[in-house]
Amino acid sequence: MKPFLALVKRDLTLGLRRKSQIYQPLVFQLLVVTMFPLGLGSGAKTLALIAPAVIWILALLASLLTLDQIFKNDYDDGSVESYVLTSYPLPLSVMAKVMAHWLLSGLPLVLFSPIIGMLLHLPSSSYGILMLSLLIGTPIFSFMGSIGSALTMSLKHGGLLLTILVMPLLTPVLIFGASAVVESALGNSAAQALLLLSGLLILSITLIPFAAAAAIKINLE
Amino acid sequence: MPIITAQDISCQRGNYLLFKPVSFSLDFGQSLLISGANGIGKTTVLESIAGVRGLQQGRLSFKDQDLSKFKDDWFENSLYIGHKTGNKKELNCLENLRSFLQIQGIEVLEPQAEQALEQVGLAGYEYQMAGSLSAGQKKRLALARLLLVDFSIWILDEPFVNLDVAGCDWLLSVLDNHVKNNGILLITAHDNKVIKNKVTRELILEPAEL
Repeated sequence: MKPFLALVKRDLTLGLRRKSQIYQPLVFQLLVVTMFPLGLGSGAKTLALIAPAVIWILALLASLLTLDQIFKNDYDDGSVESYVLTSYPLPLSVMAKVMAHWLLSGLPLVLFSPIIGMLLHLPSSSYGILMLSLLIGTPIFSFMGSIGSALTMSLKHGGLLLTILVMPLLTPVLIFGASAVVESALGNSAAQALLLLSGLLILSITLIPFAAAAAIKINLE
Repeated sequence: MPIITAQDISCQRGNYLLFKPVSFSLDFGQSLLISGANGIGKTTVLESIAGVRGLQQGRLSFKDQDLSKFKDDWFENSLYIGHKTGNKKELNCLENLRSFLQIQGIEVLEPQAEQALEQVGLAGYEYQMAGSLSAGQKKRLALARLLLVDFSIWILDEPFVNLDVAGCDWLLSVLDNHVKNNGILLITAHDNKVIKNKVTRELILEPAEL
C-alpha cells in the first residue's frame, strides 16, 4: 500500500472509532441554527434572507472545532515521526491528512446542509448550489486548517491561536461561498462566485501542503 | 571510510549550547552509547541525528554525504524509536504495527506482524487496543518495529525504560544480534552498566561552558 493511502486509511479508521470528529460539527450546527428563529423572533422571510450567510458562517465555525486535531494528536503520541522520518515527501503526507480530515468532518457538513437550509427556510431551489459551494469550500477549510494545526500542534491549548491565525485566511471563502448561495436564492447565476471559490481551492491544493510541511518542520525544531 | 561521521556536533536551546561539541564515527557492526546527566540533551542529539529536528552546530554525514542536505538515503536506512512510542490508542496492536510502517512505505503482511508481536511477548494481544496496554507493553509494541525492518541503523532513545527484566534481556540479545549482523546502533540508556560493556564506544555529553 502506498504511504499516502495508508495514512488516509489509518486516519479514517481512527475517525470512525473516535466518532466525535464526525458528530461534533453536526450537533454544533444543529444547536446553533435552532437558536436563530428564537432570537430573531420574526417570520420565514427574514430567516430566508439571512440563511446563506448563517449556513456558511456555521460551516466555518463547525470546521474550526476540529481543525486543531489534524496534527495535534499525531504530535502528542509521536506518530508524526512516521511520516516525517521517511523519504516519502512530507507535503504528500500533509495532503493525505487533509483529505482524511475533510472526509470525516467536511463531507458530513456538505451532506447535512440541506437540513440546515430547510430549518432556515432557504428556497429549496438553492439546495443544489448550497451543497456545491460547500463541496468546493469545505476542503479549503481543511487545507488552511492544516497550516494552523501544524503551527500550533506543540501547544497545549492552541485552539484559540489557531482560530486567530486561520480565520482571516478563510474570509474570502466565506464571502464567495455565501454570495453563491445568495445569488442562486435571488434567481441569478452563481457561476462567478463558484469559479472564484474553485480558484481558491486549486490554490490551496497546490500551495498549502508545502506551507504546512514547513510548519511541521519548524515545530519539531 | 566510516559510514557515519559526526564532527563537532552540538544542539542549542535558545541561544546557548546544551553540551560541549562532540565528534564520533561509526562503521558497520559498531554501536554507540550516548550518556550524560539528565537534561544534558541526549534525546535532543538523538533526534537531531535521526532527522526529527535540525542540527545547529557541526556536521553529520552518512556515506560521505552531508545529512543536512541529503536525507532520503538516510531515512531509507535508519529507524528511530523515541520516548513517544507513536502508537495510536484507538488502534489495536496489529493495526498499530502495520500502519506505522506502511506510512513509512514498508509493507508488512499480517502473519509477519503477528510473529513480531509474539516475539516481543504480545501474543494474544493482537486485537487489543493500544490504549489499554501497560506502559511496558506499549514500549514492546513500538520495539516490535525493529523486527520487521531490515534497516542497518537503529537509533533508540531509552529503549529499556518501562521494560521488565525479561524484556530487557530480550532487547539486549536483539541489539547484540543486530550489531553482530553488521548493523549500527545508537542508543541512550540510564541503567547502562550492562549495555556499557556491550557497546563499541561510549560518548559522554558534558555541559558546555557558558
